[in-house]
Amino acid sequence: MKRNLFVNLAGVLIAMLLGAIVMLIQGYNPAETYGALFGYSLANFYSFSTTLRNAVPLILTGLSASVAFASGPVNLGQPGQFLIGAIFCVIGGLYVDLPPFLMIPFLLLISMLGGAFWSGIAALLKKFFRMDEFITTLMLNMIADYLTYWAITYPLFEPRANHPQTPLITKNGFMPKWGNFNTNVIVMLLVFFVIWFIFNRTIAGYEWRISGKNSLFARIGGVKIEKNYLSVMLLTGALAGLAGGLVIMSGPHRFIKGLGANYAWDGIMIAMVANNGITATLLYGLFFSILQTGSLGMELITAVPSELITVLQAVIVLVVVAGRGYFELMIAKIATRRKLKDRDIHPQFIDQNAINREDTKL
Amino acid sequence: MNIMIGLINGMIAAATPILLAALGGTLTYYAGIFNIAMEGMMLSGAFFAVLGSYFFHSWIVGILFGVLGAILIALIFIFFSIFLKVDEFVTGVGLNLFAVGLTTYLLRQIFNVKGAFTDPGIVPIPKIQIPLIQNIPVLGKILSGQNLIVYIALIAVIFITWLVFKTRFGLRLRAAGYNSTCLDTSGVSSNLIRFHSLMLCGILCGFAGSFLSLGYVTLFTENMSAGRGWISLAAVILVSGNPLGIALVSLLFGFADGLGLFLQQSLPSQFTSMVPYVATLIALFIYSIRKKKKEALI
Repeated sequence: MKRNLFVNLAGVLIAMLLGAIVMLIQGYNPAETYGALFGYSLANFYSFSTTLRNAVPLILTGLSASVAFASGPVNLGQPGQFLIGAIFCVIGGLYVDLPPFLMIPFLLLISMLGGAFWSGIAALLKKFFRMDEFITTLMLNMIADYLTYWAITYPLFEPRANHPQTPLITKNGFMPKWGNFNTNVIVMLLVFFVIWFIFNRTIAGYEWRISGKNSLFARIGGVKIEKNYLSVMLLTGALAGLAGGLVIMSGPHRFIKGLGANYAWDGIMIAMVANNGITATLLYGLFFSILQTGSLGMELITAVPSELITVLQAVIVLVVVAGRGYFELMIAKIATRRKLKDRDIHPQFIDQNAINREDTKL
Repeated sequence: MNIMIGLINGMIAAATPILLAALGGTLTYYAGIFNIAMEGMMLSGAFFAVLGSYFFHSWIVGILFGVLGAILIALIFIFFSIFLKVDEFVTGVGLNLFAVGLTTYLLRQIFNVKGAFTDPGIVPIPKIQIPLIQNIPVLGKILSGQNLIVYIALIAVIFITWLVFKTRFGLRLRAAGYNSTCLDTSGVSSNLIRFHSLMLCGILCGFAGSFLSLGYVTLFTENMSAGRGWISLAAVILVSGNPLGIALVSLLFGFADGLGLFLQQSLPSQFTSMVPYVATLIALFIYSIRKKKKEALI
């Protein structure tokens, strides 16, 4: 655990150092820029609650990707499931009106249904026709993108707007706010604990984890791989759909063109950099949200374009993942050397390449 | 008749970037690399092609820059996946997002625009009129007058087929994917072969990107590759890497794209834009049915 933390921190620091070098080359002051970045997202309660609010979709789509990747299915459909969840939420919010204590759970539920419906399509294509979910979910992302674009341009569009968007959903469906603190964070935390519990403390979660690590072993042990596949796909779709619904209910309260373009792929990145760990996803989601929220402040204060953060995020992912792999390789190498010493074989007589190859197999 | 010719030309234009990227993908497919960075390579290529063409007022420099831009992504891929042995899938996804970030950031920094950059100063890649052939009544308008990259793509199909199946390099390439340990023990570094295959993939994706931003249209927009890299990956998987098969499948996707434009008279444009992606799903569906039947026979 400690070792893990060290690798992650070192990776993030190296990535940020690379970012600083880029800034220096372009003539910006890195210290000032990073100061503005973190100041804008963390300095006071107001900005921190904004950061928390923005972290919700990142963490939820990240959890969706983490659970999927750790259990086997390569569900890359978070962007599409996010959009379908959001549009379901908007449809519910436009045509149904209930008192808030019923309306909010109702909207959350149908956004989850929307996401699960979209991932369910991919799951069924896999189940009946053995079509790889890795490509079908990607194609479904594109289709969802155009489908929602169509929906907000024609059937659901707001007549007075000059660009495609839907009218506001009913006021009863807005997530309550305490000051600037949005209660969508509470929903996210609840979901996080539920997912953590399912994944780490139930039989189903155990089966998912085992299937993700070694599906053959799981199958021989009596795990029903296909049933689990379906439930994981539906659950992760629901998570991404929930993220979409919460963005609608806590943010613009309507579907605007381009909604979610920035969130859902980030979820996949967060899952990768977190090595599909549930808690790590929460932390990295928060960190990415700090970067993204702060990037606006950075642009306002220091004139460094906010797009730099997109580059920085990708660099963090690559550096941390590479660092983790390299670190494990080093540990394996040291362990091998120690073993050789115990057996009294001098390391220099060992073919170095053979060790390398053994290590990579581990 | 003119509509037909327009449709066919639209189909060829839509097929070209997918074909080029898929040819690159087929090389890495044979080398045993799970390469999903074609999207990023293409996007980077498209951006740098515009950059080169705009600043040097020459489409040749544009293509050169486009190829270099794609190679940049390929080199990072090589560094992470071959040198540091990071998971190829993670590297690919990371690099695709890196390319999106990099191009939008540079778009902002260099051209001071958000979203799209268009300027009369960008020199497009010319169309080639072939003498004699252009005078043939109907065929002339299809065989001649296409963009230079289209002809490069055609040559690339033949070249890649020859390279993979008729040369020593091709044999080693296939060996690297089939049994890399065997190749290593016979004294050829499989990593070196993979390096070459990724570099070639970068070059081809660079051409694909240049075609997108200097041939198909003359501008750069954010994320303009729009899933074409993924579609080309689907094309590679569909035909298990056969270059001639890829050419056919790409034309099919081009046809779907052209069909979408054609349908725009009767359907909202959002639905017609979906056509290529739906076509990919249908193609995968047919592929899986055929595979099922084959397995049933055995």
